[in-house]
Amino acid sequence: MPLITIDDQPIEVETGTLIIQAADRLGIEVPRFCYHPDLRPEGNCRMCLVEVQGYPRPTVACTTPVVDGMVVRTPHAGDQARRAVRGVLEFLLINHPLDCPICDQAGECSLQDFYMHPDYGLHRSQVDPQEKVRKRKAIDLGPMIVLDSERCVLCSRCVRFSAEVTGTAELQFVNRGNQVELKAFEDRALTDPYAGNLADICPVGALTSKDFRFKRRVWHLARTDSICAGCSTGCNLRIDHFQGTIERLVPRRNPAVNQSWLCDEGRMSFHALGAAPRLTKPRAQGTGDAVNWDDAVATAHGGLHAIRRPGQPSRLAALASTSATNETLLLFWRYVSETFTAPLLDCRLGQEDRWVDEREDTLLRRRDKHPNTRGALLLGLAADPAGGLRPMVAQAQAGAIDAALILYYPPLVGAEDPATLEALATLVRAVPFSVVLTTHEGEWGRNATLALPIAAWSEEEGTYTNYAGVVQYAGKAVAPPGEARAAAAVLGGLLGQAGRYPGGSTVQARFDELAAAVPAYAGLTIAGLASRQASVYPPEGRLPYGQEGFAGH
Amino acid sequence: MDKKDLPVINVTEAAEAETNLASGMGGTLAGMRVTFNHMVRQVLGKDQVTIQYPEQRKPYSRRFRGVHVLTEREDGSLKCVACYLCETACPAECITIEAAETPDKSVEKVASRYEIDLARCIFCGFCVDACPEEALIMSREYDLTTYERDSQTSYGIGRLTTRPEIEAYGAGYRPHMHYPLVESYLPGRRRKVTDEPEKERS
Repeated sequence: MPLITIDDQPIEVETGTLIIQAADRLGIEVPRFCYHPDLRPEGNCRMCLVEVQGYPRPTVACTTPVVDGMVVRTPHAGDQARRAVRGVLEFLLINHPLDCPICDQAGECSLQDFYMHPDYGLHRSQVDPQEKVRKRKAIDLGPMIVLDSERCVLCSRCVRFSAEVTGTAELQFVNRGNQVELKAFEDRALTDPYAGNLADICPVGALTSKDFRFKRRVWHLARTDSICAGCSTGCNLRIDHFQGTIERLVPRRNPAVNQSWLCDEGRMSFHALGAAPRLTKPRAQGTGDAVNWDDAVATAHGGLHAIRRPGQPSRLAALASTSATNETLLLFWRYVSETFTAPLLDCRLGQEDRWVDEREDTLLRRRDKHPNTRGALLLGLAADPAGGLRPMVAQAQAGAIDAALILYYPPLVGAEDPATLEALATLVRAVPFSVVLTTHEGEWGRNATLALPIAAWSEEEGTYTNYAGVVQYAGKAVAPPGEARAAAAVLGGLLGQAGRYPGGSTVQARFDELAAAVPAYAGLTIAGLASRQASVYPPEGRLPYGQEGFAGH
Repeated sequence: MDKKDLPVINVTEAAEAETNLASGMGGTLAGMRVTFNHMVRQVLGKDQVTIQYPEQRKPYSRRFRGVHVLTEREDGSLKCVACYLCETACPAECITIEAAETPDKSVEKVASRYEIDLARCIFCGFCVDACPEEALIMSREYDLTTYERDSQTSYGIGRLTTRPEIEAYGAGYRPHMHYPLVESYLPGRRRKVTDEPEKERS
């Protein structure tokens, strides 16, 4: 393997590695606009110029593969490279508009960051602002993106994204010289389901998000790392929130799961949380007022416990959603199986166990819109091949069920299936005693004996196991509304009422219990999940996209 | 130095002189003369220290940091483009802004809500320093007495642009008072902020 030196630091990298990748590995920042780890390098912005010993002129680090014995100096260490990069930056800023106060990219803009860098920024502009070349502004490019061609530095990341990743190729440069501008054909709307990524990969403010437009300055946002709960892919994302309100979702790079991308449905999924009224207080049927939590949990356990018959199977239907975290599902499973004898216990509203293996497109989206179906299956929540919601409803209508315990989260992507809601309503109506743990007010839950408000995605922390068995940790960004509690706390309360161990008080402790209870998770810890990709299904560990590959790759 | 060489002070003599009626009155009278002098000058109306507030008011510096004013463009539209820099700079966190989009592509972004909670404001002027457009300046208005706290101490776009006090007190502190970089107009007056009269209100 070639051994090279960058700014006097030696590093050994694989043959074919680019200089910029080696520098990234060393933690040396080489400024760049056009290079993106998940796009083909093009080397057109010239911002990553570095000196290589023996080369007469600076060369671009993003297209030059390393050669054994190479001695590289970045602008941080080499005068020649520094002068070159200073010149490139000044050149890129010649016609850049003075839009920072109204530009949504301000605060996370590469041009701003590089200009403020003491090594290659802080030049004095020699261009009169009145003489800058003007181009078209605020061009509406469909539901996700707004284009401002004046701010563009022509790095072509977006052009390559649409050509290589989505394959839609809607964007291209037109005209020549200083009149070059980015254009969609006839300014037609970008309708591909991954268009939102263009705002993320644009290093400047040329392509910005329409949904986030003018909502909040980025430096005001608090950031929480999480996992998308829109489908069973489990894309890594970051929740940006301000004073308890989620403002946007942006992808985090994870080469094994979602590369750098996020689908538009997932990106907008947080709007579903606020689209319908939330359940904010525990509610008991027959009492006009809400009940307090202690009474609600005691009543729930009392009512469920009363149906037990010594020596005979419990006539209980227990249905958990596969949108719940692994830790919540473990507590659900423990409460039901430790308290009752042979109840109906399942996690399927439809045929999630089959859908989890089906893909919706060739990039990210899966047919199964639950983030944790694989986790529920690994927990054995779909052990009976003939089980699920529909058989429960049939049995309840036949009078064979005395009580129901339902844990339900509305989907974050796509509309709720009316047939499923109807089946849930039928189940709740048909049983004499029903306890519903859910996030939103819903017509189907009106007849429940007890409706308990729980925290939705982004309001509690936990782990999700994606369709390929990758276990990932999702953090808590905002507080649940009203008196809603994390489902794990409610189920812990039920276990406490039953005289059982209510589970650990931290997510770390609850995950340790999961690792001890389920062989697939043996040896894993929450801290370990962050540092490595833990795939628990199938046991030999297959890379999610190993065989299938990305479109265009 | 020998002990006998030291100068001798007769303390008894000095004490007797102090208790002498005439010389003792002298010091008192000197003090009273200052007092009466001031009294006479006040009564005659020269060099008055006490003024009849609020009918009379003291002049304040042109750099006085009083209640804020949102300035306008020549056409009377609000200069603020909702960049949130004032809100970011504010150490008291008393500024609340909401941005909106305008069809005018030369402006793009405007403030649909701009509120300064003057009960929280510490009048440090950081917001005015932060403003890249001189859209926010301070006036020389300092009289903020109100009968209600919540409803009257929070100034929205309306009161920051159209209150009679702007006319009465005039513009106060702004960062480029003597070397204006941008043009801005006091609301409702169509007069450039830089054309503020030198004379201070008294």
